[in-house]
Amino acid sequence: MRFSGPDGEIRLFDGLDLSITRGESVAILGASGSGKSTLLGLLAGLDVPTGGRVWLADQEITALDEDQRARVRGEHLGFIFQAFHLLGGLNALENVMLPLELAGGARARARAGEALARVGLGGRLHHYPRQLSGGEQQRVAIARALVTEPSLLMGDEPTGNLDRRTGEQVADLLFRINREQGTTLVLVTHDPDLGERCDRVLHLADGRLEGA
Amino acid sequence: MSAWRQALRLLWRDGRAGELRLLLAAVIIAVAAVSGVAWLADRVSQATDVRAAELLGGDRVVRSNDPIPEEWVERARDYGLQTVRSAEFPSVVVAGDYTQLVSLKAVESGYPLRGSLQLRDEPEGPLSAVQQPPEPGAAWIAPRLLPLLEMDLGDTLEVGARALGTERLIALEPDRGGGFFNLAPRVLIHWDDLEGTGLVQEGSRIRYRLMLAGEPADLARYEAWLTDHAPEAELQAPGEGDPALSSVMEQAQRFLGLAALLTVVVAGVAILLTARHYASRQIDRIAIMRCLGATQRQVTAILTWKLLWLGLLAGLIGTALGYGLHLGMVALLADYLPDDLAGAGPLPALTGTLVALSALLGFALPSLLRLRDVPPLRVLRRDAGSGVLRGWLPYPVALAVIFGLMWWQGGDLRLAAAVFGAVMAGLAALGAIAAAVVYGLRRTRRARITTLSGLVRRPATATLQIVAVGLGLTALLLLSVVREDLLATWERGVDPEAPNYFLINVQPDEVDELERFLADRAGVSAELYPMIRGRLVGMNGEALDPEDYAEPRTRRLVAREFNLSHTDNLPDDNRVISGRWFDERQADHPQWSVEEDIAQRIGVDVGDTLTYRIGGREVTGEVSSIRRVQWDSFNANFFVIGNPGLLEGAPTTYITSFHLPEGEARVIADLVRQFPSVTPVDLGAILEAVRDIIRQGSRVVELMATLTLVAGVLVLLAALQITGDQRRFETALMRSLGASRAHIRRMARREFLLLGALSGGLAGLAAGLAGWGAAGPLFELDYQFNPWLPALGAAGGAVLVWAAGALATHDHYRQSPMTLLRDPDD
Repeated sequence: MRFSGPDGEIRLFDGLDLSITRGESVAILGASGSGKSTLLGLLAGLDVPTGGRVWLADQEITALDEDQRARVRGEHLGFIFQAFHLLGGLNALENVMLPLELAGGARARARAGEALARVGLGGRLHHYPRQLSGGEQQRVAIARALVTEPSLLMGDEPTGNLDRRTGEQVADLLFRINREQGTTLVLVTHDPDLGERCDRVLHLADGRLEGA
Repeated sequence: MSAWRQALRLLWRDGRAGELRLLLAAVIIAVAAVSGVAWLADRVSQATDVRAAELLGGDRVVRSNDPIPEEWVERARDYGLQTVRSAEFPSVVVAGDYTQLVSLKAVESGYPLRGSLQLRDEPEGPLSAVQQPPEPGAAWIAPRLLPLLEMDLGDTLEVGARALGTERLIALEPDRGGGFFNLAPRVLIHWDDLEGTGLVQEGSRIRYRLMLAGEPADLARYEAWLTDHAPEAELQAPGEGDPALSSVMEQAQRFLGLAALLTVVVAGVAILLTARHYASRQIDRIAIMRCLGATQRQVTAILTWKLLWLGLLAGLIGTALGYGLHLGMVALLADYLPDDLAGAGPLPALTGTLVALSALLGFALPSLLRLRDVPPLRVLRRDAGSGVLRGWLPYPVALAVIFGLMWWQGGDLRLAAAVFGAVMAGLAALGAIAAAVVYGLRRTRRARITTLSGLVRRPATATLQIVAVGLGLTALLLLSVVREDLLATWERGVDPEAPNYFLINVQPDEVDELERFLADRAGVSAELYPMIRGRLVGMNGEALDPEDYAEPRTRRLVAREFNLSHTDNLPDDNRVISGRWFDERQADHPQWSVEEDIAQRIGVDVGDTLTYRIGGREVTGEVSSIRRVQWDSFNANFFVIGNPGLLEGAPTTYITSFHLPEGEARVIADLVRQFPSVTPVDLGAILEAVRDIIRQGSRVVELMATLTLVAGVLVLLAALQITGDQRRFETALMRSLGASRAHIRRMARREFLLLGALSGGLAGLAAGLAGWGAAGPLFELDYQFNPWLPALGAAGGAVLVWAAGALATHDHYRQSPMTLLRDPDD
């Protein structure tokens, strides 16, 4: 993959070939600035490479336009961010309802409530993000990622902003989902312990993916 | 590098980056509003002050309601003074089948003593300055008389019994004292033609003037002589204009000035918001500057200089806009302003710039100066100094600046306090309702959250936007829709069969003949009432002085002659509310019946005595009853009525009113020909003129209201700017959750439509309530709330806010969802 920057073209990934099968859990490890998040963005169709192709759920998303990719994301993907990215003006329930409403899904309120119950927040539906701890916020984010029942869950440093104990609880939750629902898990992290728990660990360094 | 130069360079960079556009726009709007009004006020007051001698028509003027005695004129000439006499009164002129009430003025040769007449020989022709009156046999007329009488220049005009050729058009009359807001167009004729018109009769309402010009010493000697020999003579020197008129102008200027301040208040909110936003974006830059060795003192100096430069720039652009604005107001008021307004002076530009600077220093400086406390550590630790902008200080400072500006503009501490209180209470009320609606929606959102989107997620910002836009819309709706509603209510309230013509100046020997004429030609049996002019000089045996009363209208009542009548019978539309109507058995006991409002004003009750001076004779009677009069019957009515014996022998004219069906205007033309001294007053034409004045006047205020609305839109845009980062983040997040761009755009569109509809709906409600609140106490009208107002406001507001919002946020939706991964801090 190449990027154009102020000093000309930058080749970020070189001969990168990766396939992830359904139900697998994969960790992508790498140092800061190695391009982990960029790679995740490409896998999720948040961005497109200047060269190369990406398939997601049997569709070549590099051949789709942005709105088509958005639809694929809405249908197949769940996202968890390091900074949680909850909407401050909405309470926990409404944050989780958001992707359902965007997709025009039915029973949004009930399904969001169930998703929150599944992550152990059934009693905090009407709390606003600022009234929740970091771990609770990340669990709301996970509920939001799960509520559309995606086949693929992507996490960008999902435990990066949490203390060790809370981080472990969130990780437990993610792997339980992976096991019980067969949801594919792709995690970008620099935490080797989190990586250890995945089926496969890939190291990104100098634009090359080792272990792919 | 010195702080001012550094500030200028930084400002230039900010400007190029588009950081200051809204801040600049808000200051410019505030300056335009204030300087526009200042320019109008400046030019109008120059027109009244500078040409005071010309406005007076001479160096001194003697005024009288009676013809000027020959001796006064001869004595003035003896003292070496130039003299010109004039007589001015309302009269009706005829051209063909058309009649028109005019202000007739007859002047002697030598007129004008000071200044000159500006004339045209055809409606759009060039101006020529003339220092002489028309020759006998000719009339010079106001241009608007041509369309009113459907005549051409050169046609014959019947003025009373005389037929005069219309010769030239008057563009400007130097001594049109009270030339503003004059209802009746001018007809100027030569003094020698006056007698032939037959219009001068006993009891006619004529204002005589003797204009004098000469050396100050001669004037002083004459003044001394006149004071000795005719203490009753009313002598006027330049600058002593009509107090009623100048106070109207003063009040109008104050009102417009305060209206301009409403714009400043709303623009101030925009300044406050944008300055805070700007400051928050400067934190990192200041931290780096501090890190590189800038002292707090340097930071303060640079920030202050930045604002000063910005203020100067905004002052420059704002005053230029204000100049254009005042040209618009002058154009709207053209009919009521003299043709040769003084040129625009530089002072309003200074005023505008000072307002710009005080607005910036008051609204923006407190926020910006907090940046001096940004710690240099911030370059290492992101959280250091992030709370530096928090605090309440900017708000009291801003309020103090607003109050200061109001004090300065209103010129009176109490007025400023009242207006400040009213504006703040109004804003608070509007804010409370808007907040109740927004927070209510937030509570009851049972429906899809994406429908209400930003409105419920940012309730405080939404409330602020609704109030700011709503305020401007309220003012506009009040001045357009509610104004027309009130006029319509008023017109509906008038009985279609109510009298539409008054006849005044009817001589006693014409009464019988006129009654017959009206019966034959118009089919009406009109009752003619005697009218006697008298001046109230005493109450309960003590002399009355106008100065005894604080209220200007009461003072004028006491200072001037007003109309008395006498009759045995209580008129139909009068009711005695205290005391008893005249008893025939007490015919020789002098009695008055007084209208209730006037009785209250001068403080008189049943049993008191009142003394009037009537034609040099004093007449005293006891108040035997207080009457309530139904004025909107449009019948001839009187404040004070005496019993028949009381006013016997006093100089009397008669007055009547009657209803003339439409299309019978010929009757009036014939009436004027047959009874030249009788003045018919067409109520319909006067009401039309009043409506015109209300419309033109409110259009000027509408201009100000539009500026307030523009300021409101700036607040909307400022709020959008502040929430821009948040919106971009939300866009990216929703796109990562699978929403298409079109979907997000739809959501934003819905948000703006809802926001606009809410502010417009509230504005319609507020305007309707204001109209309803004013209709009763101020205009005594039974105003029906117009149910379309909120709907109209909502539609207008929705379109406006949607357009402005779409324009301001179109680039938000391009945000790549990758932002979320790249800048986790955002």
